[in-house]
Amino acid sequence: MSHGAVRAAIVATGQTDHGRRFDVSMAEIAREAIDRCLASRGLALEDVDAVVAGNMEMFEGIYLVDQLYVGALGALGKPLYKLNTGGTVGASVALACYHLVAAGRHRRVLGVGFQKQSEGSTQAAITTVGDPIWERAVMAGAIGNFASMASTYIAESGVTPEQAAKVAVKARRNACLNPHAHLKMPDITVEEVLASEMLAYPIHRLDMCPASDGACAIVMAAEDAVAALADRPAWVHAVATAHDQQYMGDSPKRLAVMRSLQAASRKAYAHAGIEDPLRDFDVAEVYEPATYAELAMCENLGFCPMGGGGKLIDDGVTLIDGPLPVNPSGGVLSTNPVGATAMIRVAEAAMQVMGEAGAHQIPDVTRALATGYGGNAWTDVMILSAERPK
Amino acid sequence: MSGVASDTWIVGLGEARTAPLLDDVSINELAWEAVAPALGEAGVALAEVTGAVTASQDFWDGRTISSMNVNEVACGAYGSEAKVAADCAQAIGYACARIDDGDQHLNVVVAHAKESEGDAHTIELAAFDPYYERQIDPDETIVAAFQASLLYARGGASAERCARIVAAARARSTVLEPVSVEDVLASAQTATPLRVLDRAPLMDTAAAMVICCGDRRLKLDRPAVRIVGTATRTGAYWRERADLAAIPQAAEALREALERADWGRGDIDIVELAAPFAHQHMMLGEALGLGSGDGLVERFERGEINQSGGWLAGSAGSVAGLRAVLAATRRLRDGDGRRALICATSGLAAQSHHVVLLEAGV
Repeated sequence: MSHGAVRAAIVATGQTDHGRRFDVSMAEIAREAIDRCLASRGLALEDVDAVVAGNMEMFEGIYLVDQLYVGALGALGKPLYKLNTGGTVGASVALACYHLVAAGRHRRVLGVGFQKQSEGSTQAAITTVGDPIWERAVMAGAIGNFASMASTYIAESGVTPEQAAKVAVKARRNACLNPHAHLKMPDITVEEVLASEMLAYPIHRLDMCPASDGACAIVMAAEDAVAALADRPAWVHAVATAHDQQYMGDSPKRLAVMRSLQAASRKAYAHAGIEDPLRDFDVAEVYEPATYAELAMCENLGFCPMGGGGKLIDDGVTLIDGPLPVNPSGGVLSTNPVGATAMIRVAEAAMQVMGEAGAHQIPDVTRALATGYGGNAWTDVMILSAERPK
Repeated sequence: MSGVASDTWIVGLGEARTAPLLDDVSINELAWEAVAPALGEAGVALAEVTGAVTASQDFWDGRTISSMNVNEVACGAYGSEAKVAADCAQAIGYACARIDDGDQHLNVVVAHAKESEGDAHTIELAAFDPYYERQIDPDETIVAAFQASLLYARGGASAERCARIVAAARARSTVLEPVSVEDVLASAQTATPLRVLDRAPLMDTAAAMVICCGDRRLKLDRPAVRIVGTATRTGAYWRERADLAAIPQAAEALREALERADWGRGDIDIVELAAPFAHQHMMLGEALGLGSGDGLVERFERGEINQSGGWLAGSAGSVAGLRAVLAATRRLRDGDGRRALICATSGLAAQSHHVVLLEAGV
């Protein structure tokens, strides 16, 4: 990629307080994030030129959900794009915001991802991701998929359940510092994770992400609009997308060898000049729906050698006070409103760059990585920096 | 933002078969039927394609992330694919942005629909407000009928004029039998004042095109058409519109696209409109300043608008806008015009409008 006609930066973010939100409708939860995002910079809907929305509409069973909620999304009479790429979708929305600005289409684009899992059956909807003949019966839903992948990962890498459990502990403790997070467990222990219900070997209940209601919004601005909106914007240095093959059987080591994550991250690294990701990033927000996934993703992102994910967490490298904090927000393991989840990764990375992450702020963040993951190992990557791209 | 014309070029076109039921192919095979000839026209291999933007709907596929059906055939494993859940004319706009900012240089745009696999009423019912509307069991035809009633009451459009638009479309169809105005007016009522033939029939089909940046186009040295401008606008949900028969957002989308292309309205000599109901063609024609009343209908009959026949001649949701772009592109390549306007609608009662402006290559 190049930086095209226009450089672009995230200048505002907003999130709901995620969890089981029986106090709001889908429209209200989306608007809550939008209002918080715009209010953080004194913006009004009139200041937004276009809207990109993300939601997995089979989860709540609303077809053309963007059209129904066009008013709540602040898109009436404006360009409204609806993207739909699975768990990745929030990041895909963020990437679309970037492309629409970088191509010179619009100056200020609002991106919003939203999901209210309490109003539908996520497990039933995710089961339809699989091929109806070959896959649905044997790898139903997210848990079935990750159980299959984690089993292979354990066999390939030698990672242990205890090491995976440490990821759960890290996530839920970090979440206690994040006012928006869903699962906050200040006293969680490795033993508690290992003692939690076995959902599908080797996945315990506390190895998996929750089903959350929530929304997240960002404003992506063109260079000539950035200075008026943010003193310290999060400039986009690179974006990349890659997806794996459709059938799980065609990439049997999908978690151990995440080829889509490798492809997308290496493309983005090359563009942003990242030579040593462990050294060059100050923080990472990665889309880890399960504990084992975070360890595998750290390997595939090049934070450690392949097979070294377990040692990485043992050594405390990815802890909030470690050399490369991974998911100081609490990550997907603490908050998972699917249509918003990957955008939360992007927003949290932007907040770290902008110095607006509050109690979970990492000191002196210059460069941050955000990833999205979903469907057929679909991967989005965005690299953000406090420094304007050359 | 104005005056930022796209430097994206169409270098390959492909269309799958179109029929009410294609049960001899899976969805990805159907998409490949369109992608393969598009790649062939462009003279490129799938491995050279860097990414894709696709258009489809999860509900119609019965599959969360419906583009998983096609992303391997659109840009190969590990390509960069994004999916727009709207008519593919909007996907074209997004694909152009990805090329214009330098992220991509050779992309496939593909849309698919196998409408034979879904139950239309059940799916369309899911587009209505779950608390206040679904209990009365509405669908897209019912709100289109409300819209047509309003339109007919004002004069300008009428059942007969809409029937003439259907007859004109079917006369040009390569997949549907011709029908007369009388046939349309005598067809079964669906929701007053609409009849079965006022709505495009459900179809299985796919379409694809290969697009690239200006530099790549020069290297490919193929007949090329430039996508000069795109724009999209969304109006209010059908129940919240002050005037259900008015679509000012279509005009606004055209205004923005023209501004981006630095064109005037008089510069256009090919027009393709994509909408699922006959009366929406009259609404679009009037909103876009193409005429009104009998004069507008005659333009459809003469083929000045929708020479391809359009959606009413056989297409499908998500795909119709792309097929309109393909039809216009072929005419531009054949020297049958210099500049083309395509406008496609999506959503209940023509809620969203997506404009694409094309110019013959030089």
